[in-house]
Amino acid sequence: MLFAPADLTEEELELQREVRAFLATELPRGTFEPGLGMAAPRDRGFSAKLAERGWLGMAIPVRYGGRDRSAVDRFVVSEELLRWGAPVGHHWVADRQTAPTINRFGTEEQKQRFLPAICRGELSFAIGMSEPEAGSDLAAVRTRASRVEGGWLLSGTKVWTSGAHVSDWFVVLCRTGESTEDRHAGLSQLIVDLRADGLTVRSIPFLSGHRDFNEVVLEEVFVPDELVLGEIGGGWAQNTSELAYERGGPERWLSTYLLVEELMRAHEEVLGTERASIVLGEMVASWWGLRRLSLSVARMIDAAEAPAVQSALVKEMATRFEQDVLACVQELVALEPVRDGDSLLERILFEATLSAPSFTIRGGTNEILRSVAAKGLGRL
Amino acid sequence: MSDWLLIDGARRLFAETCTHEVVQAAEAEQWSSLVWDAAAGAGYASLSELELADALAVLTVAGEHAAPVPLAEAALAGWLVGETVAGPVSVAPGGGLRIEGDSVSGLARRVPWGHAVERIVAVVEGQAVVLSVASAVRVERHANLAGEPRDTLVFEAAQPEEVRAAACDLRERGALTRVALMAGALAAMARLTVAYAGERRQFGRPIARFQAVQQHLVCVAQEAALVGAAAEGVARAPGLFEIAAAKVLAARAALAASRAAHQVHGAMGMTQEYRLHHFSRRLWAWREEYGDEQHWAARLGEALAVAGAENLYPAITGGSAVV
Repeated sequence: MLFAPADLTEEELELQREVRAFLATELPRGTFEPGLGMAAPRDRGFSAKLAERGWLGMAIPVRYGGRDRSAVDRFVVSEELLRWGAPVGHHWVADRQTAPTINRFGTEEQKQRFLPAICRGELSFAIGMSEPEAGSDLAAVRTRASRVEGGWLLSGTKVWTSGAHVSDWFVVLCRTGESTEDRHAGLSQLIVDLRADGLTVRSIPFLSGHRDFNEVVLEEVFVPDELVLGEIGGGWAQNTSELAYERGGPERWLSTYLLVEELMRAHEEVLGTERASIVLGEMVASWWGLRRLSLSVARMIDAAEAPAVQSALVKEMATRFEQDVLACVQELVALEPVRDGDSLLERILFEATLSAPSFTIRGGTNEILRSVAAKGLGRL
Repeated sequence: MSDWLLIDGARRLFAETCTHEVVQAAEAEQWSSLVWDAAAGAGYASLSELELADALAVLTVAGEHAAPVPLAEAALAGWLVGETVAGPVSVAPGGGLRIEGDSVSGLARRVPWGHAVERIVAVVEGQAVVLSVASAVRVERHANLAGEPRDTLVFEAAQPEEVRAAACDLRERGALTRVALMAGALAAMARLTVAYAGERRQFGRPIARFQAVQQHLVCVAQEAALVGAAAEGVARAPGLFEIAAAKVLAARAALAASRAAHQVHGAMGMTQEYRLHHFSRRLWAWREEYGDEQHWAARLGEALAVAGAENLYPAITGGSAVV
């Protein structure tokens, strides 16, 4: 069987009810400006409230500040936060991929140092993968760490680093050995302080005017040995496993969910036609099916399987669907997207229209995902 | 969770009996005693007596092998009447019959294997009516896109063998059987297509190595996975929401996956001698039967609009428990 079965247990449903009740009380609709999925604002205070309830680092062991729960529990919490438009930006990367990666590959000292602080919602992380000459072809990274006494000197340039200007750390994929015939050899991951000497963060304004994107220039940044993540030379395999957390989750099919809910709330009049019923029914059928597949990826992570192919298949089709949802809403209602519009729908239509092209690019372009999936299909 | 012994047995039985030649011959001869006798012998003529999820799982395996026999119809007949109807038996999917006193008259259209079965079950004014095919005054042979018999039976004051209150909604249950069959056909289509692309060489390498071809392989695999997940979901919670959503996904997948699979196979896929058409033609046919994507999307959309914005996400996670 390619995908694991996906239904929630009674305990998981109870968690879902708790999160819904929390959001209705802590963050009632109409009292905050919701964001579009994982692009929602950063709010340390909100992340701390989630942490108090044990909803950050859920799958991390209790001894490192986590709750020893599961990837499915994290899925249940995440999907509710995302569909609500809650401000998840501060903890998003750390909770989704850095914490599980450190938990899996990190040293005891690294786990003690980083995991409790992530689980408390204090530390935020960015992603140090892409470079000017290494986008989809990630093995082409040129950022290099050279051996010095007690650690490494890191030089190079990372780009498209969301949140580097406000985050505390980022995990950098870099070259520590020569590139041989095996292009995946000689790569390593280092945990790097974003305020270290020799590190410069420069904003790359997004086409919408948002300033979340950055270029990070590293000039002989000293990284001590104790911040090497996992094996020197094992960076490619670790990075690949990290990507399984990054792909296939609910953030890949909920970026435009709120448009539909808001359309139903504010423009009930457009729902009366047969065409509108069909469009709404088709979208919800897709959400129902994609959610089941996505949940099954989480189940497979809990079963210690490596659902890299499955998550690539899900992300590729789910992100196209996110864009389709925007087109469907635009078909149903004639409303100009306006940044400071009077209605919430005008405002989130503005955000969605200007960010939609990124859905099928961020976290691995659809083209590279197809390639990953197709190679895997031949082996399954 | 479905019964693994049952599924394993079904896999072996259909793999052994539904060879390419047998499926091909069944289309020409409009019946396959070989497959029917084997399936009936294994108990698959009375799937309605099993747990619903198990019955659907057997149908999925049947779909995976394009089994050319009315197993879904036997199950539907059993669900309508409330117990297994002695067979082979089929069902009349639409209206067209009327009860006059104690007899039945009118047309039963698009009856799967109508000419070859012993009796049919039709829903007339909310009643499940069992009619002997021998009591039809005329049987017209027709077929669906896949060449599966879809016959018209004409009754004039026929005496029903039995009349009972229909024990299920035929359109919903019918759509459910089609989702199960389609999940199987899509899985088979995905396997066949990936394997073919790995074997077929052009320009000195397997065509699976070309990115343009990989895009099609991914499409077929995605649609098969999506409908597989839908079939599993609807088997666990067979409410109106899940049936509608699953049939929407299966119907759309029939078009998207077949298009991509055919593109990968090139001219070979257009021939009778190659197996792909057993799946693509069935998918196209089953897409229409018991409601296509437009029909079910409209029903789903209407229910969601009534439930309102606050219930949209709870419906996506909770399905028919919410809507």
